[in-house]
Amino acid sequence: MVEKYDPQMKNHQMSAWLDELKQKLNHMDDAEIVEHRMGTSASVYLVYIKTLIDPERLNETIIQPLDRSAGDSLSSCITNAKVSDVISIDDAEQKIMQGFVLLNDSVNDQWLGVQLENPLGRAVEPSQTETVIYGAKDSFSEQIDKNITMLRRRLPISTLKTESFTIGSLSKTKVVLLYIDGLINPEFVSLARKKINSVDFDQFLDSSQLAAFIEDHNHTVFPQFLQTDRPDACAYALGEGKLTLLVSNSPFALIAPITFFHLIQSPEDYFLRWPVASFLRLIRYGSFVVSLTMIPFYVALTTFHYQMVPLPLLYVLLESRSKLPFTPFAEGFFMIITLEIIKEASLRMPTKTSQTLGVIGGIVIGQAAVEAGFASKVLIVLMGISAIAFFLVPNYQVTKSMVLLQILLLILASFLGLPGIVIGLIGILAHLHALTSLGQPYLAPIAPFYGKDWNDLFIRGPLIWMKTRPKYLKPLRKWRQEMKK
Amino acid sequence: MKSLSLYNRTSTLGGIYFLFLVNRMQMHYFILIMPVYLVHSYMVWAIVVMGLLSQLNLMMMSKWFTSSYAAKGYQGFLQLFGKRAVQIFAILGFLIILLKISIVTLGYVEMLHSFIFPSMDKKWLILMILLISLFVASHGMENTLRFVVIAFLCGAWIVVLFIPFFFQADASYRDLYPLIPTEWSGQSWQGLWFIWSAFSGPVYLAFMVPWLSSNKKISKYLVIGNMLSIMEYILLFVASVLFYGSHYLRKIDFPIGYMGSYIQTSGLERIDYILISFHMFNYVFDISILLLCFYGAGRIFMRKMKERSTRIGLLSSWFVILISIILMDQWLWQTVPGQKMLLNLQIWIGACIYLLIPTILFTAVKRKESM
Repeated sequence: MVEKYDPQMKNHQMSAWLDELKQKLNHMDDAEIVEHRMGTSASVYLVYIKTLIDPERLNETIIQPLDRSAGDSLSSCITNAKVSDVISIDDAEQKIMQGFVLLNDSVNDQWLGVQLENPLGRAVEPSQTETVIYGAKDSFSEQIDKNITMLRRRLPISTLKTESFTIGSLSKTKVVLLYIDGLINPEFVSLARKKINSVDFDQFLDSSQLAAFIEDHNHTVFPQFLQTDRPDACAYALGEGKLTLLVSNSPFALIAPITFFHLIQSPEDYFLRWPVASFLRLIRYGSFVVSLTMIPFYVALTTFHYQMVPLPLLYVLLESRSKLPFTPFAEGFFMIITLEIIKEASLRMPTKTSQTLGVIGGIVIGQAAVEAGFASKVLIVLMGISAIAFFLVPNYQVTKSMVLLQILLLILASFLGLPGIVIGLIGILAHLHALTSLGQPYLAPIAPFYGKDWNDLFIRGPLIWMKTRPKYLKPLRKWRQEMKK
Repeated sequence: MKSLSLYNRTSTLGGIYFLFLVNRMQMHYFILIMPVYLVHSYMVWAIVVMGLLSQLNLMMMSKWFTSSYAAKGYQGFLQLFGKRAVQIFAILGFLIILLKISIVTLGYVEMLHSFIFPSMDKKWLILMILLISLFVASHGMENTLRFVVIAFLCGAWIVVLFIPFFFQADASYRDLYPLIPTEWSGQSWQGLWFIWSAFSGPVYLAFMVPWLSSNKKISKYLVIGNMLSIMEYILLFVASVLFYGSHYLRKIDFPIGYMGSYIQTSGLERIDYILISFHMFNYVFDISILLLCFYGAGRIFMRKMKERSTRIGLLSSWFVILISIILMDQWLWQTVPGQKMLLNLQIWIGACIYLLIPTILFTAVKRKESM
């Protein structure tokens, strides 16, 4: 329950708070409780944590005005910062931990708080995870207010609403829910609110952790919130009728509801000319299928279906596999795991050593595996194609999930060949089909079928044709054009 | 006992779903063996005539879809026929569905066994197909019905690959003559029944109305779906007549499958392996829907409609189907007379229910409305 400020609370107990605060800030070397003499020789207590506040602003905003004060009240002295009342000892503690400086107003027997949070953080930088050639280059940072500013600059409308929540008993993480009022389906907002309010955990260090608590299905490899650090992608999603969640100290926003197809699409699709964007999008879908099925298909062919390989190619395949002691499954599994080890190592290692890793991975392991008889040349080529195809999928979380699906298909292919792969695909599609993101079907607009939304599915239709917002989102404002409102 | 929300609904499916449902439910095992039963080129008219009669039947069913009794589901049937009759229908439906699932699965497994895995024990194939169907069905009736879109997208393209058979150098258009039958034998009648039975799939939609929209425009989609099936049947039949000729056609088990084995590219041969594998999407969809109907029928005759559906219930139904298929395979399917008997039984039962169910429902609604 939120405590409200009651003027009657200006009682003598306020002075007792100082002792209580001293108690709470005990053994905190960076906490300071300073008695400051004002110009009128009256004294005021300042309580703050010096590592959380900006010392320069403390001097400019509080110390200097207090020194110049001629008996005015504290709140009238401090003019270039917002002064808020402290209503309880818990509120005082919370404010101190949020970068406030607390002042004891002995004249009025009350405590005041001035927010002087240290604006420590990195500058606005280009996105490292979703790079584009064209389009905006800024990306979110760990400072939530700065992230909201980036969105407000893109959507300077009063209907862009922000609602704040605090989650995590230890981390006290701030979460901001953004949506465009009067456009988004209100059900999404109320469902998101309900889910965030029901979160109960101690620490949230990244938005992905929040997603794990509020997503509809936990036991799946597919993300149901789109994580992005691009403000333009968030603004576009908000304009379509989706909502965005920003989490303090995380540069990644969460967008929902999403469909599986959003994970394959890139923000740049909307900045290129539509035939080019459509072509690239189709290549990405193709790469998704290739990366998932190429190695299992190789295993199916070499284990069960040699008849499918034309004779000239069969010679190459047989020659390449003739000295291998392993089954195609073992060979494929070994290479997939090796590739994953290399990929994981390249992410964790310092940048300067990545060249060495490239040499070790590409030449030593690749060539040596063939020469030592661990893998066939054909498989190495297919692994290369498959690995590059993986990188075409823009969403990193999906790329990681795909490896697990690839192994599943590999196992099925080793048991049942091509029908095994198809059984696996049916299973994956049925699973995707049953998933929901914020209550909305994950395979929309295919199943459920929304024909009109197909102009932004496999191809990215011309923007002038995209006159309506996606139907599966059931937005309150269907038309994108102002005239047809 | 853990409950499972199999028959819940959050929204109704309408419009284009009817098109997909009608089309995919008519595209199962029978389309693969259809040329063996039709044989003569003039039987292309049988497809057309039976297809048009099927249109009439679907129009009649569309009246049922829009009736208030249909939308009420089980309660609607109770109002129309009474509890006792509904239980008897449920027992009959239980057996009919069991037979259909068994024959569809055995037929497809037979094809997989002949073409792709001649040395593999068929039980593994049966088990895998039933397992994946159980997985699809476990997501509930609404999701399974929606899965038809995926089944359509992953299966409808197969027929397009048979178009080149019309333009092959050795495709003699003289094989298409005579187009007017010069003789009419018992086999021709059987061909007619066969086609009628092959088109009977959508009859099961009559029991799924609570999940489907009762919009008056649905008849358009039913007609288009059926037309699409007619075109696919004609295309495959004419292609097979052109490829084999009528005389040779009756000697082949799986004419469509063998035709597929002649499709090849410079990078891959034996494309039939891919086609047969992808055809599984249809079967899995069909079996999943029928499995849910089977469990539903079981709940009705065991008087458990007031209780929630359970995992144990679904699994038990699945086991009954698995055991029935394995036993049928062991005792009947592996012998030629047994296989023929089962196929004939399915042809007759399929044809009869497609004739009777829409008529009975149509008449019952009319009678009730006039009362």
